[in-house]
Amino acid sequence: MSDMMVYRGNPFNEIEELGDGMFRLHMGPQHPISGQGRFIILTDGERVFDIEVDIGYSHRGTEKLLEHRTFIQGIVPVERMVMIDTANILMGYVGAVERILGVEPPPRANYIRTIVMEMNRIISHLYALGLLSESAAWNPAVFLWTTADREPFLDLLEMLTGARWSYSFFVPGGVRADIPRGFKERLLVTLDWFEKRIDVIEEAWIYNELFRMRTEGMGVVSRQEAIEWGVAGPNLRASGVAYDTRKNEPYAAYGELDFKMVTHTAGDAYARGWARVEEMRVSVDIIRQAIENMPDGPVRVRVPQRAKPGEALFRVETSRGEMNVYIVSDGKDKPYRVKISPASFRNFFAIEMIPKTQTVLLADAPVLIYSFDPWFLDADR
Amino acid sequence: MVDIVGFVEANLPIFIKILLFPGLLFIFGFVIFAVWYQRKYLARIMLRMGPVHCGKRLGWLQLVADAMKLLTKELIIPRAANKIVFIVVTFLLPVIPAAMIAVIPFAPGYVIYPASGYSLLLFFAISTLFPVVGILRGWAANNKFTIIGAFRMIYLDIAGEIPVFLASIGVMIWAGTYDLQKIVELQKGMWFVFPQILGFIVFFIGFLGMIEKIPFDIPTAESELVYGPNTEYSGAMFLNMMLSDYANVLAWTLLMITLYFGGYNGPTIFPNPIVNGAFWIIVKLLIAISILFTIMITYARLRIDQAIRMGWSYLLPLSLLNILLTIILKFFLFGGVV
Repeated sequence: MSDMMVYRGNPFNEIEELGDGMFRLHMGPQHPISGQGRFIILTDGERVFDIEVDIGYSHRGTEKLLEHRTFIQGIVPVERMVMIDTANILMGYVGAVERILGVEPPPRANYIRTIVMEMNRIISHLYALGLLSESAAWNPAVFLWTTADREPFLDLLEMLTGARWSYSFFVPGGVRADIPRGFKERLLVTLDWFEKRIDVIEEAWIYNELFRMRTEGMGVVSRQEAIEWGVAGPNLRASGVAYDTRKNEPYAAYGELDFKMVTHTAGDAYARGWARVEEMRVSVDIIRQAIENMPDGPVRVRVPQRAKPGEALFRVETSRGEMNVYIVSDGKDKPYRVKISPASFRNFFAIEMIPKTQTVLLADAPVLIYSFDPWFLDADR
Repeated sequence: MVDIVGFVEANLPIFIKILLFPGLLFIFGFVIFAVWYQRKYLARIMLRMGPVHCGKRLGWLQLVADAMKLLTKELIIPRAANKIVFIVVTFLLPVIPAAMIAVIPFAPGYVIYPASGYSLLLFFAISTLFPVVGILRGWAANNKFTIIGAFRMIYLDIAGEIPVFLASIGVMIWAGTYDLQKIVELQKGMWFVFPQILGFIVFFIGFLGMIEKIPFDIPTAESELVYGPNTEYSGAMFLNMMLSDYANVLAWTLLMITLYFGGYNGPTIFPNPIVNGAFWIIVKLLIAISILFTIMITYARLRIDQAIRMGWSYLLPLSLLNILLTIILKFFLFGGVV
């Protein structure tokens, strides 16, 4: 990667260097689709031979920051990793802290956490679908539709937690507040409305002939490749691997709820988009069950300040896939070391590998990238 | 000493046509209106308001504000660019669609340049200049995105323009003339879209490719090529690019209306035939661009290989079939008289 970063003045020098009319196209960090990173694409003008993902533009040293903060102070840096998916990201950290402190959250808190996490998953998937549609050159129509559809959920989260985004709602030992009066009724009305809305999005967009032309059979990840490359989340399930941390290693209230796992056998960009739409339906189902079966009781228990020396690992299924949080403690009120293994990092690896196994055209590159729903801040940590 | 005043007085009608309608003022007015209308229309579909700050709720002054902003911006020319070509191309580009509009009749006998009965051929002859200037601007900027965009533009123009031309040959055979004025006069009874429905379908899809809007905005594909051949242009030069873009839409839409939807024909509302013709052509233009914008917002962009395959394997055979059907229909069923 280092030799690619040298600025050579004349951009066409590398044509001579690479030969055969090949050159490197730098998508990002200033490019309509790049986000806070860069894709270095080796191309002959239309065919993509190699995609190199250049992460690290927004590295903030989250893991190092956590070593200098008490366990509860670490909440805010962690949830800044993925602003759109704060609850699921934070669950990983809070769950690991609870394990190392040796506390168990009360059951009601687990149910409230599940509701917040699934609402957050819906929000995140809506955003991902909007970006996928924009990469396949919708004018931002679908993006703004999905953005508008997030609003009722953001309002509900504001009602529950006090903030629309980045609400620091989960704390070691439970959640900060109980469900307010009127929340349940409003939530159920919103879910009824949203189920109809999913049908509209599906009809306008997922079944759109031109969208299928662009995404079907493009960026195929086979079952075997998905396992080898460590693809995570809905992308993994779209390749036919039935793995979901919510099912395989239940946390919060997922073990007590009955929901189906969305899998698709095609493994192409279309399957990855479709899997996200179906997962939103599953999320609606989970929220309904959780709000109906919620037990009574406290929502927060007291936790000790200091952890015993030891280590703890917590897996959590974020919207982009499984995230692992590993904490080592040396008996102080601060962690000795925190290691976060985010899902986007592994999905970026699949983006790098796909052009090596199949034909990808330059116009496919944005669709390919956004079908994985990558998040640079997640991978950068 | 040239007698300018005398020259102008002697040629007053042609000066009015060139400067006011359907010349410069009309083109500028249409571009400003079309951009505003596009922003407001698409905004409603996107659940937004569109521009609301300049010019009250309608935001009609927003385009003026944008133009002022672009005109006062610094002109940035890349260091590696060929400066002369880079700048000259921006002034050449809006001239081509303007010249294409010059052959379109707006009322009986109201044409800037009648081209002595060959106006349809002249329209296509001028339109072939577009890819030439397109590759010039892509090459002059000396940038990877602009080069890829320029080559895509050529591929797309060749794949789209041949079916469009062959589809309009169907109209030429049906009408028996190259003259757009006569083609419009022949549509007094029936629009040619009905006997030429197959040709119209081919023409319309090729037309979407010619104006380079979604689903065929492949040369300027934002999600991969930023703004295609126009990527490096800034300020007033960018304004010229926008102008040529929308003037191109205007020229091709006018041709479609003239060939298939009866041109300036319509019920008499205004006693003056020129005002009446202009009124109907503008009404048809507004309906056409509304349909165009709706297509723009509801479809994804095709890939370049899919678009070229569509052009060569579907549109080209269909346009040839249309010519055959037209000949059979006209000479064997109608006996050569429309």
